[in-house]
Amino acid sequence: MLVFNQLETYLYLALLLFAIGLYGVLARRSLIAILISVELILNAASLNFMAFNRFLAPHPAVGQVITLFIMAVAAAEAAIALSIIVAVYRKLKSINIEHATELRG
Amino acid sequence: MGACDPNFLSCFLIVALPLLSFAVIMIFTWRRHKLSLAISLTCSTIPLILAWSLFFRLKDAVTMAKPIVTQVNWLVSDAVIVPFGFLLDPVSLLMLAIVATISWLIQVYSIGYMEGDPGFARFYADLSLFGMSMLSLVSASGMLQLFISWELVGLASYLLIGFWYEKFSASEAGKKAFVVTRFGDIGFFMGLVFLTFFLKDINIFGLGIFDINNAALTKKLTEAQVTLCALLIFCGVAGKSAQFPIHVWLPDAMEGPTPVSALLHSATMVAAGIYLITRLFPLFAASATAMSVVLAISTITLLLSSTIGMVAKDIKQVWAYSTVSQLGFMAMGLSAAALGGSTLFAGYYHLTTHAAFKALLFLCAGVFIHHFGTNDFFVMSKDGGRKLAIPMITVTIGALALAGIFPFSGFFSKEAILGQLWHLPNKMWVGLALFGAFLTAYYTFRVIFVMLLPRKDDDPIWKEYYVREEGGHGHGAHDDAHGGGHDEHHGVPWVMSFPLIVLAGFTLVLGFMQAPLEKFLLGESHPHDLNYLLLFLAVGCALGGIGVAWLDWGRSGAKWQGFIRKFPALETFFIQKWYMDHFWRWFLNTFIYGTFSRIFTYNDRRVVDGGVDAVAFSTIGSGRLLSFIQTAFVQLNLLFMVLVLAGVGLYLLMGR
Repeated sequence: MLVFNQLETYLYLALLLFAIGLYGVLARRSLIAILISVELILNAASLNFMAFNRFLAPHPAVGQVITLFIMAVAAAEAAIALSIIVAVYRKLKSINIEHATELRG
Repeated sequence: MGACDPNFLSCFLIVALPLLSFAVIMIFTWRRHKLSLAISLTCSTIPLILAWSLFFRLKDAVTMAKPIVTQVNWLVSDAVIVPFGFLLDPVSLLMLAIVATISWLIQVYSIGYMEGDPGFARFYADLSLFGMSMLSLVSASGMLQLFISWELVGLASYLLIGFWYEKFSASEAGKKAFVVTRFGDIGFFMGLVFLTFFLKDINIFGLGIFDINNAALTKKLTEAQVTLCALLIFCGVAGKSAQFPIHVWLPDAMEGPTPVSALLHSATMVAAGIYLITRLFPLFAASATAMSVVLAISTITLLLSSTIGMVAKDIKQVWAYSTVSQLGFMAMGLSAAALGGSTLFAGYYHLTTHAAFKALLFLCAGVFIHHFGTNDFFVMSKDGGRKLAIPMITVTIGALALAGIFPFSGFFSKEAILGQLWHLPNKMWVGLALFGAFLTAYYTFRVIFVMLLPRKDDDPIWKEYYVREEGGHGHGAHDDAHGGGHDEHHGVPWVMSFPLIVLAGFTLVLGFMQAPLEKFLLGESHPHDLNYLLLFLAVGCALGGIGVAWLDWGRSGAKWQGFIRKFPALETFFIQKWYMDHFWRWFLNTFIYGTFSRIFTYNDRRVVDGGVDAVAFSTIGSGRLLSFIQTAFVQLNLLFMVLVLAGVGLYLLMGR
C-alpha cells in the first residue's frame, strides 16, 4: 500500500507516540505510568530514526545502530527507574508522584 | 659591557655577597651565632677588598663626564627592558669604598658590642642587608635600581632600628623611621614619574642616571620641568637625610643598637639622600628655584638641630642632632655650589669626612654605653668615663673634627662649604652657617668637657644631673650585666677599640686628602686662593663655641648650666625639639586621622564593605525568590522544561 511506503506516515505515527508519551509523563501521577510514558517517547524517537534510515539515508545500517543503542539505553533506564520507584515506595509507602514533596523550596 | 666584564663582576659580587649572607643567615644559620658571624664577616670583607681594588684600578680611568656604565638586561618583556648594572664614576667609586669600609668596621665592632645578645645572628643578617642595599644604591646605573635599593635601605633601617622589638619604644621608632621616610619617597617616586613623562623617549625602567644628567645639561627639559622634578626628588632626599620638616624620625632612630646608629648616621641611610643630590647634581643645578628652596630648608635644618643638640642629655641624641645639622650643612654646600655655578666637591667632601668622624663618634658613644649601661653622658662622666683611654681620646678627635678645628678633617670640608656659601650674593647664608658652626662646636664640647672634667663625687651639682634610669635607654638586657659591674674597669675589647683607631686615623688623614680628592672627582684641582677673612671667621666661630662651652661646662667654677638657661622660654622650646613632634602629632590627628582616615573609613565601610554585602544579600534574596518555583511538583517542572524546549525549537525553526 502506498501509504505505508511514505516517510510522512511514520513521522506522524512517531509524533503521535511522542505526544501520548509526553502527556503521560506530564499528566499521570503514578510513577509506573510515567515510566511507561518515557518508554513511549523513546520508541517514538527510535521510530523516527528507522523511518529516516529507510527513506533518506544512503547507508542502511546507521539508523539501525542508533535504534539498537536506544533499546539498550531504554533497558538500563527501565532498570534504574524501577529501582528508584522501589526506593521511593519504601520511603513513602506510595508511588504517587504528588507525595514526593521533600524538595519543596 | 656584558656579564663577563670584570668591572661588572666585581660590582655584582660587592652587591650580591652581603645579600647572600643575609639570606643564608636568615634561612639556615640564625640559631648559630658564631657561624653567622663568620658568614657575615666574610661577605663584607670580600666586598671591602673588591671596592678598594676597583677604586685603585679605575681611579685614573674614569671621570665624571666619562663614567663606566656596565649593565646587563635584567628583565626583558617585549619593548620593555629593565637593565641591571652599575655606574662607576669618581663619586660612586669613592662612596663604594667608604660604605664598604665603614660597614666592615662596624661589623667588626659589633662582635664586641652585640656579644651575648639573643638576636646576634639576626643582627648580622640585617647589617648585611643594610650594607648590600647601600652598596647597590651607590653603584646603581638606573633610577629604578637606585629606587629599589633606596627602599631596601629604608627596610633595613626599619629592621635595625626596631632590632630590640620587645621594647615598645624601639618598635615604634622603627615604624616611625619607615613611615616618615616613605612619606618623602612618595615625592621621590613622583619626581621620577614626571621625569620619564618629560623625557619622552625613555621609560621609567630604562631611566639611567647618566641620561638624566645629560638631559639636564643639554637643556632637554625646561626650567619649570626641572624645578618640579628636582623639588619632588628632594622630598625623598629630605626624608632619608632628615631635613626639616621630616627630620623627626632620626633622633628616635637612636632606639637601635649603637653600631646601627653609627652605620645609619655615617655611610648609609642618611648619606643616601645627600648622595642622591650629588648623583643628580646637574639636574639639581639646572634649577635655581629648586636649589634656593633646598638652601633654605637645609639652613633651617642646621639651626634647628644645632639648637636642640645644645640641651640634649643623651649622648646619642647629641650626636644624632649633630648628624642632622651636618646633613643640613652638606645640603647647604651643594645647593650653594649649584647656585654659584660651582662643583659638587664641597658637599661631597664633607659627606666623606663626616662619614668617618660621625661613625667614630657613635662607636665611641657605643663603647661608653656598653660599659656604663646608660645613654646619659652626665652619668658616664660621674661613673668614670674618662678612664677609658682609647674611646676618650678618639671621641675627642671626632669632636674636634665635628667642631671644625685644624688639622682634623671636619675643618677642611667645612671650610670648603663655607667657601661656597661665601660666594653667594646674600651674605646671610654664610652668616647662618657660621652661627651653626659655632653652635656645633658648643654642643660638641659640652659633651666632651662634661665627660673629660667631671666634678668630684660629692659635688651637689650631681643632684641635678646624676639620674640613673633603671634598665637604661636604648639597649637590651645584655647591657644590664655590664651596667651592674661598672666599678671594675675591665678594658675595652680590641674588636671595639680597633675600629675606633682606624676611624680616628681616617679623621686625621682625610683632611689632607682634599687636593688629591678634588683632582680625582673633578679631573683638575683648583688652586685655592685662601680667603683669610673667612678662615679667620670659621676658626673663630669654632673656637668661640669651644670657649663658651669651656665657660659653661669646662672650667673648675663652671655652673654646668648652658648659656641658654638665661632664656627659659627658648630652652623649653629647644628641649621640646621645636615642638616638631607635637606639630606632626597635631597634623596627623587633624588631617590624616581626622579627615582622610575618616573619609576612607567611611568609604571602606559603606562602599567597599557595602558593595560586597550587597552582592551577598542580592544572591540570597534572588535565591529565596527563585525557590518559589521549587514547588515539589516534578511534573510542573517538567512542563516548564518542555515548554521552554518547545519555545527554543520554534525559535530555531521559525527564526531563520
